[in-house]
Formats: sequence, C-alpha cells, structure tokens
Amino acid sequence: MKTITIKRYATVLLWGLFIFLSNSCEDFLEVDTPNYLLSGETIFTDTNTVEAAMVGIYAQLRNNVLLTGNPQGLSVLLGTYTDELDYYSPYPLPEEPFNKNTLLATNPTVAEVWNGCYNQIYAANAILEGVEDSIYFTPDEIASFKGEALFIRALIHFYLVNIYGDIPYITTTNYHINKNVEREATEIIYAKIIFDLEEARQLLPATDLSGEKVRPYQAVATALLARVQLYAENWEQASQLATLVIDETPWESNPTNVFLKESPSILWQFQPEFEGQNTFEAQTFIFETAPPPARALTTTLMDAFEPGDLRKDLWTGAVTDGSQTFYYPYKYQHRAGEPFNAEYSVVLRLAELYLIRAEANANLGNLSAAASDINKIRERAGLSPTTATDQETLLNTILKERRVELFTEHGHRFFDLKRTANLDGILVNSKPNWKTTDRLFPIPEKELMLNPKLNPQNPGY
Amino acid sequence: MKNNYRHRLALAGIFALFFTYSSPLLSQNLPLKTISGTITDAEGPLSGVNVLVKNSARGSISDLEGRYALSATAQDTLVFMYLGYKSHEIAVGNRSTINVLMQLDATALDQVVINAGYYKVSDKEKTSSIARITAKEIENQPISNPLAAMQGRLPGVNIIQNTGVPGGGFTVRIRGRNSIRADGSEPLYIVDGVPYPSQSLGSSFVSTVLGAPQSPLNGINPDNIASIEVLKDADATAIYGSRGANGVVLITTKQGTSGKTTLGLNASSGVGQLTRRMDLLNTQEYLAMRREAFANDGITEYPFNEYDINGTWDQSRYTDWQEELMGHTAYFNDYGLSLTGGSENTRYLIRASHQKQTTVFPGNFNYKKYGALATVTHNAADDRLFVSFTANYVADKNDLPTTAFITPALNLAPNAPALYDENGEVNWEDGTFFNPIAQLKAKYLSNSSTLLGSSTISYKLFKGFNLKANLGYNEIHLEESRTSPNTIYNPAYGLDSSYSSISVNTSSRKSWIVEPQIEYNTQIGDLEIAALVGTTFQNENSNGLLQYAGNFTSNALIYNLASAAEREVLASTDDVYRYNAVYGRLNFNWNKKYILNLTGRRDGSSRFGADTRFANFGAVGAAWLFGEEKFIKENVTFLSFGKIRGSYGTSGNDQIGNYGYLDTYVGSGFFYQGIPTLQPTQLYNPNFGWETNKKMELAVEIGLLKNIFNISGAYYRNRSSSQLVGIPLPGTTGFPTLTGNLDATVQNTGWEFEFDAKLLNNDNLNWTAKAQLTIPRNELISFPNLESSTYSNRFVIGQPLDIALLYHYTGVDPQTGLYTFQDFDGDGNITSPNDAKQATKVGVDYYGGITNSVSYKNFCLDFLLQYVKQTGYNYLYTSALAGTLANQPTAVLDHWEQPGGGGFTQMYSAGYSDAAYTAYGNLLNSDAVVSDASYLRLRNISLSYNLPIQVTLGAKCRLYVLAQNLFTITDFLGMDPETQSLDQLPPLRVISAGLEINI
Repeated sequence: MKTITIKRYATVLLWGLFIFLSNSCEDFLEVDTPNYLLSGETIFTDTNTVEAAMVGIYAQLRNNVLLTGNPQGLSVLLGTYTDELDYYSPYPLPEEPFNKNTLLATNPTVAEVWNGCYNQIYAANAILEGVEDSIYFTPDEIASFKGEALFIRALIHFYLVNIYGDIPYITTTNYHINKNVEREATEIIYAKIIFDLEEARQLLPATDLSGEKVRPYQAVATALLARVQLYAENWEQASQLATLVIDETPWESNPTNVFLKESPSILWQFQPEFEGQNTFEAQTFIFETAPPPARALTTTLMDAFEPGDLRKDLWTGAVTDGSQTFYYPYKYQHRAGEPFNAEYSVVLRLAELYLIRAEANANLGNLSAAASDINKIRERAGLSPTTATDQETLLNTILKERRVELFTEHGHRFFDLKRTANLDGILVNSKPNWKTTDRLFPIPEKELMLNPKLNPQNPGY
Repeated sequence: MKNNYRHRLALAGIFALFFTYSSPLLSQNLPLKTISGTITDAEGPLSGVNVLVKNSARGSISDLEGRYALSATAQDTLVFMYLGYKSHEIAVGNRSTINVLMQLDATALDQVVINAGYYKVSDKEKTSSIARITAKEIENQPISNPLAAMQGRLPGVNIIQNTGVPGGGFTVRIRGRNSIRADGSEPLYIVDGVPYPSQSLGSSFVSTVLGAPQSPLNGINPDNIASIEVLKDADATAIYGSRGANGVVLITTKQGTSGKTTLGLNASSGVGQLTRRMDLLNTQEYLAMRREAFANDGITEYPFNEYDINGTWDQSRYTDWQEELMGHTAYFNDYGLSLTGGSENTRYLIRASHQKQTTVFPGNFNYKKYGALATVTHNAADDRLFVSFTANYVADKNDLPTTAFITPALNLAPNAPALYDENGEVNWEDGTFFNPIAQLKAKYLSNSSTLLGSSTISYKLFKGFNLKANLGYNEIHLEESRTSPNTIYNPAYGLDSSYSSISVNTSSRKSWIVEPQIEYNTQIGDLEIAALVGTTFQNENSNGLLQYAGNFTSNALIYNLASAAEREVLASTDDVYRYNAVYGRLNFNWNKKYILNLTGRRDGSSRFGADTRFANFGAVGAAWLFGEEKFIKENVTFLSFGKIRGSYGTSGNDQIGNYGYLDTYVGSGFFYQGIPTLQPTQLYNPNFGWETNKKMELAVEIGLLKNIFNISGAYYRNRSSSQLVGIPLPGTTGFPTLTGNLDATVQNTGWEFEFDAKLLNNDNLNWTAKAQLTIPRNELISFPNLESSTYSNRFVIGQPLDIALLYHYTGVDPQTGLYTFQDFDGDGNITSPNDAKQATKVGVDYYGGITNSVSYKNFCLDFLLQYVKQTGYNYLYTSALAGTLANQPTAVLDHWEQPGGGGFTQMYSAGYSDAAYTAYGNLLNSDAVVSDASYLRLRNISLSYNLPIQVTLGAKCRLYVLAQNLFTITDFLGMDPETQSLDQLPPLRVISAGLEINI
C-alpha cells in the first residue's frame, strides 16, 4: 500500500518527465553567445571595445609579431641575418639558419613572420570595415580609428615587401578574395602603402593623445611615409616629410637619454604590458657572463664605431671572459623586476628622420644640408663634424652612420644595404654563405601550396 | 508521518528511491520461499553463475563457494547460466535446496550478452558489428588507461599510445580515419549510459611533457571496468546518430554479486623501462664525423661556439645520454580493495583502488591515481521496479618534469660535459653547455577528479511494456600547471626570479543527461518483436581558465599567483553545448532464424547554426541464422553455427568546436595601456552542418565442430561525406583555417577476420587461441575542384588520406656527395610543390593480434602478440643535419666520403654549407623519411596461479606475474615504431607481480 503509492509516483514522474521533455526541443538547443566571446557586431557598437581591438594589434606587435623585441622579431632575425649579430647558442635556436644564411622555404620562423603579419593586417582591416559609416561613433572617433588601422596596414605591408619582395596587398577581411590573391609588383605595393599613409596622415590626430607616444598620431605616419619615400627614392618628398617631423619634434642631445621613455625625440613606442617589466629587447640582448648564451654584436659592427663615439660606450655593453670580450646591444638597459618602467620599446625616433633627410639631400645634391644633418647626429655622439664633401663619400658616411645609430632596431641594416645595392658587396666579407638571392626571404612553402597564385617562389629557394 | 516523508522524497527525485524503498510486499498468489544451493562443475564450486527466476527480473549470482540463495514460488523455474557452460532449467516444486552440476558447453555462444547501448542482444542474435573485451583481459594488464587495455585485441579498432609518459594520450581510430582534418575522428565514449567527453580539458600549452593534452580517459579506472564494447557498423551506431560516425565505445563498470559478503584484495608492484633505444655514435665516431664535416665545409678553424670540437669540452668524455636522461627504472604499484554482497533483490559493490607509478626520468616524479566505485542495484520482488545507481570517482595527480628529455637524450654530443659539477649543482660548463638537467627545476603538476553518477530506473507497466529512464551526471575538474623558474636558463643571461613564470590551466566540465525511454517486447507466434523509443537531453558546460603569471620576487612564491607582478589570462572560456534527440529501435526475430533490426535517430546540436541544426540518421540490420535451418543441420553436421548478417545506414559527426558559426572576438590576455586587448578569433561561416557517414557491412559467422572453432569475417564500407573540416587557408586571409563542410567523400573499406579455437579442453588442461586481423583501406573517392582548392597539394583522389606528397629521393650523388631527388617538372631545381609529387603512404596496411590462453590445473597463462604492418615517419623526419653539433644514429656512418663514393648519408656538413643544408632540407621533405614501421610486439603476457582452497582455508588466492610490451620485433629506423616520434617517450616495458585474495 505504501509501496504502491511510491510506485504510482514513480510512474507518474517517469511519464511526466517523458512528456515534458519531448515538448521542448528547439528552445533547448538555443545557446547564448558565451560571455567570453564578443560577436563582431557587438564590438563595433562601443568605443571601448574598438579601442581594445585596436590596441590588441600593438600588443601583438610588441609581444609576438614582427617588431617585437623577443627573438622572433626583426631586430634579432635580420640582425643575425646580416652583420650585426653573431650566433653563439650551444643548442639550436630558431635564428640559427638566419645566421648561417641557410633559410629554406619550409622554415617555420619564416612562416610565422608571414602569418603573424597578415593576421594583424586582418585585425586592422576588420576595424576599418567595422567603423566605416558606423552610427555608433562620432566622426572624430571614426577618423582616428581608421587612421590608426590604415597606418598599421601600411606599416606591416612595408616590412613584408622589403622582406619577401612582391606580395599581395590585403585590404579586406573577405576570405573568398584573400585566399586567391596574387603577388603585386613592388612599385604597386609602394603606391598602396603611400596611399594608405597619406590617408592616415589626414585622419590621425595632429598630436599625441596618449601622453606617452604609445599610439600613432600624425607625425608618426609622416615619419614612416618619409622612410617609405626614401626607400622609393623619391628624394624630394622624403626630405620634405622628414622636415615636417623634425620641425615639430624636440631633439634629444644627450645620448644617455635617447631610449628613456620620456625622451622628446621618440615618436612612437610600445608600452610594456606591466609596470616594471621594461622591454623585451633588454631581456633578449643583455648577458652577464661570457661566452654569450645566444647572440652578441659582431666585431665588424664594433669596429665601425669611430674612436670616441659615445654610442659605443653608452649603447653597447661588454663582457669579458679574461681572454676575449663580447658586446651586446645596451640601448635598453632596464630589465624586468624593477619598480617601474624606465624604457619602452621604441619603433620610430627622430634621429632616423635626420638621416633620411641627409640621405635625400645628398642624393638631390644638397650636400651641405646633408652634412649638417649628419653632424647633428655626430655631435650628439661626441664626434667631430664629417669631413665628407662629395656626394659618394657623404652617402657612404650616411650608411655608416645609420649602421652605428640604428643597429638592432628592426632590421635597418638589412634594408639599408639592400636598397643601396650593397648587400652582396659587404656581406660577402662576413657571411660565407651569402648569396645574391638571399636578398629576399622565401615565400613560406605552405602558402604556395595553399594558394598557387603566389607562385613563383622567390629565386634561390 | 512516514508516509509524508516518502511522499516528499518521491517528488524530490527518483535517484533517492532505493534508499527508502524496502520491505517488498508480495503481490503474487503463491508464497515465496527461499531456495538455496551449491553450484559446482567438474572441478569444484563455481562462482559467478547467474541464477534467474524464469520470466522475472529476480536473480542471484553464486558466491566463491558456489553458493546462491534467492526466493521463488513453487511454480517458478530456475535458470542457471554461466558463460561457456550449458544452461540448466530446474522447476522449483516443493524443494528448498537445489544443487546443480554445470556442464561445459562448447556451443554456448548465445549466452554471451552484448551491450549495444540502449539495448542488449545476445551475441548469437545480433545483427550488428560489436567487438568487446571483458574484465579478465583488462585485469591482466598493468595499465592505468582503459584505452591501453584495448590495444591489439579488437578487430577494426586501431589504438596508438602517443607517449610513454604517464597520463598521456592515445589515438583511437575505429575503422579508419573518416575526416579530412586530422582531428574529428574520435569515437563517442559512453560510460554506464552517460556520454563521456573525448576532448581533454587539458591544455597542451601546459602539459608540454605529454606533447598533447592529457588523456580524458584517465578519469576512468580500468580496474572498475566489467566490459568494453565497441560499436562499429551502422546498425549499432545509427541509434547514436550524429555522434556515432567514428564508432561508439561503451564502457560498463562492474556490478555487485549477491550472496555472502565477499572482500577482495589485490596488490601488485612492478618495474618499467624503455622498450627500445637507438644506436648512437660514440665519442670517437662522433668527433670523426664533426671533423670531416668541417673539412667538407672548408672551415679549418673551428668556430667559437662549436664547443664539442674546438677544445672547450673534454674530447675524451663519453656519456650514454639515453641511459642518463631516460634510462631509469619506473616503479609501479597497484592496490585494490572491494566489497560485494547483497540479497537476491539488492546487490552492492564497493571498490577502492590506488595506483602509483614513477618515471624513467632522473628525479622524483610520479603519477598517482585513486579510484572509488559504489554501485547498488535493486529489483522489487514483484519484478516491476528496477533501480540501479552507480557512482564512480577517480582522482589523479601527476607530478612530472616539463619535458620528456628524449630530444637531448638523442641529440647531445656524446662528449658533452657532466650534468652536475663537483658541488652537485647544475653544470653549465661556463655557459657553454645548455644543460638539459636544468629543466628538472621546472615542473608539471596536474590534479584532476572525475565523478560519474548514473542511474537507471525502469518500471514494468504491464507484461512486456517498460518505462525506463537513464539519468547521468558527469563532473570533471582539472588543474594543471607548468612552472618556468629562472634557474632553467643559462646563468649567463643573469636572469633573476623576475623572469620566473607559471602557466596554470583550471578547467571543469559538468554534464547531465536525461534519457526517458519506453520498451515494448511481445511475441506473436514465432515472431518476437522488441521496440524501443526514447529521447535524450544533454547539457554540457565547460569552463576553462588559462593563466600566465610571471615576475616573482622569489621562486618560493611561484605557485602563488597573487605574488606575481605580471598576470595574464590567456584564455577564459565558458561553453555550453546542448544536444537533443529522439531515437528508436524495432527488432523482429522470427523463429530465432530471421532477424531484422531497424534503428533511427533525429538529432539536434547547438554547435550548428539555426538552419542546419537538426538531422536524421537511421539504419537497417538483418541476420539469417542459416545454421538453424533444417537442411543445414541434417546435411552439414560439422557446422554447429552459421549466420549471415548485414547492415546499412547513416550516422553523423558533430565534433567541431562550439560557436564555430559566430563571428567573434576574444580577449588575447595581453594588456596595452592598461586595457585588456581583444583579438579576432576566427573566420566565420554561419552555414556549416553535419558530416554524414554512410556505413555498409556484410559478415559471416560460423561455428564448427560444436563450436570448437569459430570463424567470422566481415567486410565494411563507410563513406563519409560533406566533410566538416577546418579548411586550411593561406595566411593572407589572416587565419589558418575556416570551419565548413567540404563536398568531399572519404571511403573506408576493410576486412575483419576473427578466429578462435578451443584447442584443448579437458579436466586439467585448457587451451584457447584467438586471432584477429583487420585489413583497412582508406580512399579519397571524390573531391570536386580539388585542384583549385587549398588541399590540392595534400590529397590525391583515389589515394588514402594518410598520404604525403613528397620529393622522391634518388640517392646520394657520387660526384657532389649530396642527396638527389627526382626533378618532376624538369626545371633543374627541386622546388615544392611542383617536384613534391611522390604520393607516399604513411599508415597501416593491416593489423591484428593473437591471444592464447592456456590453463593447466591451477596455472593460467595468457598472452597477446600484436602485429602491425605499416609505414611511418622514421628518425630522418626530425633528424639534425649529420655533422652539426648533435649526435646521430650509427646509420650515418655509411656516408659519402669522396667523389665516386656513395652511402646512406650525404657528405657530412657542420651546417655552414648552403648546398648541403638545402639538400638536407629537401630530404626532410622527401619519401626517404617514410619507411617500414611494422612491428610484432608481445603486448601482454600474464601467468597466474590459483592457490588450492585447502591451503588458503577457504579464501580464493591468486598469484600472478604480468608483463606489458615485453619484446618488440621491428626493422623500424627510429626509436619506437608505435609512437614513431623523437619527441615523445615510447611506451614502457612493464613487468609486475601481484596477489589477489577474495574472502
């Protein structure tokens, strides 16, 4: 009797369960977008989330991709590929084939650089598309987001074209288009970079709003454009653009302070993630005992400093094992574990603009103007004015000056030797494996397989 | 009062029913009386015999002394059943003691009852393809993961152990790889009716030592498993619909036995070592190679950082790094305790177990596993209500280094310096030696717990009509961490604990399932009809938090995330997966000769967009027991059993990440200007849907000479279409893949054969042998526009999926001394993809196993020989260039020395010759890296001895010795033909001994 009552309940419950559950299928399968994902539509309704997506690109460039001070960034890869860094690691590091100039199309680091760049280009294009004609933002907000995204798109393509040669210029997030793109001639890529940078200059805020130069503003785009015009050998434009930046930026005359985050000559820098973390460059380059654990500056670079050059003492560090002395880049001297950040990772700074203008002027035949800009740099380094008077000597002086001023800063040496047709002539002395075809990295082999339209492979691979 | 109490409980939930439900009252006319007795066979008492009251759900199982007791009426008939014995039916009448002598029966196939998931079938009458192993086979193996127990024992089931490090993963392929993508071919696991996730909660970012996320099946204790059934064909899997395409693995845990309370104890310990090592160069050979390499590269002065040869390191040292870094002995301990008993209506089982194993690495590392199982079943005396409840809990703790040391063990120069200096500190040899032992300062720790609760309630409304509900709950928690203290780095960097960091993964998954069902069985003349209708509601919530913390003031604080100056959340997920289905089965059995089985399911999954959410799956299976036909029975007398069966149907696959149809951004974990930054996560495609798999099977099963010999052969053909894949995209799209359905069809066909023989069967000596063989074939049969797709350089129509398109290696050029390759496009250069045209199969040709079981008096010997015929990636695939600062196998001694020469290896080069490096790079991309990886392995052998009962005073005692992977015969050029990896530790050879007592 009691038992029977229970059985009745059990029966009713089972039937009830069955009927109840069979009635609610469609609703049951509706799941909300989870709280850790934001849909693309939601992102582009709020300034804060677009801002977070925008600075996401800088965080990636700082930590992982292309301009990072970590060893997978250009400062190490191109420094060791040319004559800036020697390789000492007793176990294989990804940079070893770069150092030995034995890159293969299957090299994973070559693919990481490529994929990382296009991933950030996607992020930039997504912002461009997301804020375009949006009703959620003011025209100023739209202009500033678009300006930053266009600047980033141009910046990354600029490095890509100089590393890989002819490349596709990606301006959409649409994968139906992007999976079948073809390589475009370097001149066309340059035209597109210049077009994007011109537009970015119009859109970006006139002055730095971040207070620490950690976001691009007009002068940053102008400075990059000056470099692009220099590379494109449009001397007039390069000189004019450099002047625009030089005229509005104070000069840091003390070489000790050049890389401190407050230095007025810094145009654009990446803010470290945490207080007291300082830069990845310091972690990558500094060593305390000899032999060097991974990499050190080459003797040819150390020999390139003229006697008395303050930069040799201030910007390089020395470690000796008793018989031999090794040098490391010491532009960034502060490592993690300090109470605050003394240095940020600098991407663009004023000294390069003087060198751009000097080189442009030298090519235009304005030799005294060129010499004066060179001397601005030399003076800060505690060196006497240049004695060069003819165009060729001046150009050589500029190349040498660029070498000792801009070493291990995102591959300047490689690009300078390449655009001045000096790669083969100079590197043959220090790089036994150097071949003319090493002027370009291989297109990652997987890319050619996934998109045969990217064929042919660069010569030599 | 008491009634009220019950009232509330009944409403509160059915789970609690059996706790309050007691004192069964009698609703039948005749009085019940207790029947007891002893069951024996020719050798003595027989335990584990099923005693059932015919046409009821009542029953009992005999205890160790063969005794049983149950209640029945005088009109009832008792049925005594035991695998391998003839069943007896005895009418009760007015007796209260019934003793039975069981007789061996070679034709007892139909008594093997097979779990098909939602229903059970006898092996004899099944229309589907289901393979199984039972507790006996599992118990004989010193293993900690149930997947290891299945290796080599089941036809059509290929299981590869990915690493010998405890807690590591397995690759399981049931009837081949169905999916074009490398993942997405995992089977569906069901434990006691509850789906168990095949995706690990682990993070490969944290568990670097395992090379992959830890195996999700660590949460199941093999000691607690009664049987594992693998459903393979459409007839068996269609009822699992969208998740059955890759096969279904049903795991059933042990149940209690009624009768006198029995206490079981089991203890064993053993040792494990590497199964196989590589023959590497000694110091003399190695340095000779290095000198020759530099000479070839034209370098006379050894560079500064070539420490092994430039005089920095002692050139007379020799260390066997394989011995030093992974040649230690691992210790295995295993303890189990069980208690079982109960009345005829209520049975219970409680088991507890503990396993511990250490590693072959230097240092103190270990894996520990604690398990508990509690199960109760109850059927009411009136046979209407049946309730069972099982709770299964496993906790495991893994304490490991963060690397498996295999790479340094194979690559370190044989004259590399000592690991420790005179003071016992890590020796960096003045910064010239990247000392692998420093990695011991880093640790991988993992703690996980798995709770599985399941319950079945069934109620017989009237004869043949049952209401039933399966309820299940599953909760898994995992916390794992990997530390990187500054002390693992070369001190030359001068890094302090500001550079120490830890990665922590904290994840959990909670899932519930409710499956109400209606069963109806009836008989119309000679036609038996069984019908089942049910519905499933499943909800799964997964949470994951992957954190990074760095910059500590002291390494002592490394496990305290709050002490870190830098903290990033690398991933934070909170997923919901919901699943809903209606399914049914209709089975017609005419005269136990002609059987037709219809199954179907309609499924919905939240993983798909609204338009593609639902799909239908179904199958038909049929069997003809031609051996039962009169003309066969009379004319073909040696044939004792004969069956032809076949099936055709569809099942599906929804193994793709959640929310794949959304366009989303996710937090990247990085901060910039104090803002937690966002990153786009994926290219989105709102329109992807189910992958469907059409399966066909035909099989013949034959028993000869009173079933002394049993042979079965099956042919299957599975076609998987509208492939659900992450379509690889070029980097220019911003992402590596796009989730979508590809209009491609993959076909898996194959033959499976099983043969077993009871070769000897007399009082003292029993010998049975089993052999099984699987010959799988995999083929991409269609792929519209393959040529213009991103797969054009990966797959070829008409070829298996597991091919690689590679350069064709044509030997060492006698003049240049470099590797040469076929120039397919004739342009004078070896470039990809135009010269990577050699379709090279990297996979299995056939596999199988041979099991023998011999018992003589109290001794019992079992062994399994597993064989696999396959090709695989050999050591060259991940080898360093011969001549660089890395040790090499002795095979490289056969090398090119001077013009006109030849050899296995090209001219040595220290990496300074671009031509040699390029040729080496091409070799890694050529068919030279694929070679025969077949092996014959004594997977398992066990010898046990049952102590005579006279000696043990009634207790049942068994002594045993077990060994796993005792020997391997192979020509494989590499470390281990199973893992085929130079990054992962091969499976270990384990020998253990133990004692089992049942009182």
